[in-house]
Amino acid sequence: MSPPGAGGTRTVLHVDMDAFYVSVELLRRPELRGRPVVVGGDGARGVVAAASYEARAFGVFSAMSSVRARQLCPHAVFLAGDHALYSQVSARVMAIFREYTPLVEPLSLDEAFLDVSGVRRLHGSGATIAATIRTRVLHEEGLGCCVGVASSKFVAKLASKAAKPVAARSGTRAGRGVVVVEPGNEVVFVQRLPVGALWGVGPATLERLGRLGISTVAELAAVPLPHIVGAVGRASGTHLHQLAHAIDDRPVEPESTPKSVSHEETYANDVTSSTDLRREIVRQSDAVAGRLRRQGLAGRTVQLKVRFSDFRTISRSNTVSGGLDTGPAIAREAKALLDKVDVAGGVRLLGVAVTGLSEERSRQLTFDDPGPDWSDASRAVDEIRDRFGDTAIGPAAAATERGLKLTRRGAQQWGPADP
Amino acid sequence: MKFRCEREVLVEALATAGRAVSNRGGTLTALTGIRAELVGDRLTLTGTDLDLTISVELEVSGDGDGVVVLPAKLTSDIVRAFGEGKVEVTVGDEEAEIVSGAATFTVLLLAPEGFPVQKPSEAEAVNVPAKSFATAVKKVVRAASRDETRSVALTGVLMASEDGGLRLVATDSYRLALSDLPGVSLLEESAQVIVPARALSELVRLIGNSDDTVAVRLDQGTASFSLGAKQITTRLIEAEYPNYRGLIPASQPNRLTVGREALLEAVRRVALMVQSTPTPIRLVSTSEQLELMAITPDRGEAREGLDAQYEGEDLTVAFNPEYLLDGLDATQGDEVTLQTVDGLKPALLRSNDDEGFLYLLMPVRVS
Repeated sequence: MSPPGAGGTRTVLHVDMDAFYVSVELLRRPELRGRPVVVGGDGARGVVAAASYEARAFGVFSAMSSVRARQLCPHAVFLAGDHALYSQVSARVMAIFREYTPLVEPLSLDEAFLDVSGVRRLHGSGATIAATIRTRVLHEEGLGCCVGVASSKFVAKLASKAAKPVAARSGTRAGRGVVVVEPGNEVVFVQRLPVGALWGVGPATLERLGRLGISTVAELAAVPLPHIVGAVGRASGTHLHQLAHAIDDRPVEPESTPKSVSHEETYANDVTSSTDLRREIVRQSDAVAGRLRRQGLAGRTVQLKVRFSDFRTISRSNTVSGGLDTGPAIAREAKALLDKVDVAGGVRLLGVAVTGLSEERSRQLTFDDPGPDWSDASRAVDEIRDRFGDTAIGPAAAATERGLKLTRRGAQQWGPADP
Repeated sequence: MKFRCEREVLVEALATAGRAVSNRGGTLTALTGIRAELVGDRLTLTGTDLDLTISVELEVSGDGDGVVVLPAKLTSDIVRAFGEGKVEVTVGDEEAEIVSGAATFTVLLLAPEGFPVQKPSEAEAVNVPAKSFATAVKKVVRAASRDETRSVALTGVLMASEDGGLRLVATDSYRLALSDLPGVSLLEESAQVIVPARALSELVRLIGNSDDTVAVRLDQGTASFSLGAKQITTRLIEAEYPNYRGLIPASQPNRLTVGREALLEAVRRVALMVQSTPTPIRLVSTSEQLELMAITPDRGEAREGLDAQYEGEDLTVAFNPEYLLDGLDATQGDEVTLQTVDGLKPALLRSNDDEGFLYLLMPVRVS
């Protein structure tokens, strides 16, 4: 049998870190090893970001509310989470991947696709590279990961899932670590899975497929395309039909330009004052703009997301002619959007996003451009932050009695802290 | 109506008048034609797109006065294709017979309805020396905007009276060119008009190397320029011209002095690295030297050092190389000075040998 990716087929690796946030925490707090550990927001509206396998055995999983997690596993250790640390560790792990191939597409801090089709001669088969990467990540970072090897992203991701450790109350059962789906075996591999395992199948789709009597991928594959399309619509139906036959030719795209840069924040108490909301917009716009500039991007569309106290969520956007990458410019648009929203009932979550991004490395100025403007001020802000830290300078709206309260990436990923 | 003349003369006259003929024609078929009017031995050929009109008078041996509209492109192509010698055009009711040597073409005439007939302007002509006027126009006209959707005013050249002379200004909001013609009092004190850049470009072409004078007439929203037997008439742009005076800085702290020809050539070379705007070229000025740099991430980079005098703080300013080249090309003299404030404010290009001219250029912001 030929190795995966022989000849014209691709070899794609999906690397997924094992309980990443928790594992990073355990490295600096080894005394917690073996105990159920939950990383996430611990306020009333907090969300679980990661759970150790010991905690998972009690039914705790990520995205669950922290309140529910405490009910299920009251003796778990709850940690607030340190996004900055996870980012650093993630960057080092991704750097290991990049030693094997430049085609690394990070999906989040703890997973990535690698296309190694072109480097098999150099580094060996997909299975060999997978094993090497696992060993190196374990030795160099003390972290476990699982790798799926297949001819497409979709199958590789399912394979890495099959390689995962399994949580049980009696103890964590080690997984296979690396699962290789050989070319030609993709259909067999995919079709023994339940349809829910397919990417893009949510509860609604699952229910519609269930009405057709479809519960496994094999059953889905046996249904002619028009029937699936009739049940779930054209786009979704075509997509599912392809996945059921293990067809996925999406390339691994390294460093893709992000589609949007956003910040959102859930408030411990609903915010009703529009003055406060405008201040929040200034803070979030400042953070969004900082990240845009760091990536050399500017965006033309500003989006405001508002979730009211009754969980009703609206999104409003406006597109301008020139690329925006300064806090004040983004805030101005976002405030204009906020002015058209009735916030009297209280706002639970507010978010500012900039989309329509492009790399704006240079721009021909016109006589209409005013002299030094926010672009210059923002550049100075970036330099100050690089030298003296993020909280050295910020918009006046972010000033509090305890110093600057800046919006930081990941600071509030898992719900607000109690006030 | 019948006329005869040398092929050469007719080819040139048809081409000149034809430059104003609209390619599109639009709803008026007549506008795709050239109007030919014969009075005695004088033939006048006129092409127009309603905004711009060009007419040429030529001496022919005529027989019977009359007016017809000939299809511009076809007639021009036919006459051009003939060999040297006489061409004879005989106009019938619905067609014209064009004969040269053994070749005979019968061309259907266009209906003359819709072809605008200009009344000769009654305004008094002001005579302007053709050569210096053409030079001044050439220096500014490239800076005019070609984008009508942004601002119609900027697609024209401002002609204003200034200190008893004539001032020409053009800008597309990225750069501005200003040229003074002392002693040319075309307009009344503090009067100004906006002439479409296209008309002035055609005028420059018409003037060529002529040492003659151009008779300029401004009259009821039109300007006409007569040079010998040729005349260009254009509709003026009725719009507010932006306040350009406020853009020209009174003083700037940094001053670079460099050989014009040397800089021009170096910019051309370094700009080879520039694939598309807005990739700029950078001018890095220090007291020791001037360095030009172009960095295109997916192509490579170019650097070239130049002898230059520089007074001011070390500074990097980036420009669109095309705009810089236009300015250097328009400036006369061996040496030019480039005065700057910083990388974000307009830079002023001048030469001591070209007093009446200045070129103001906005930088490209680079991050």
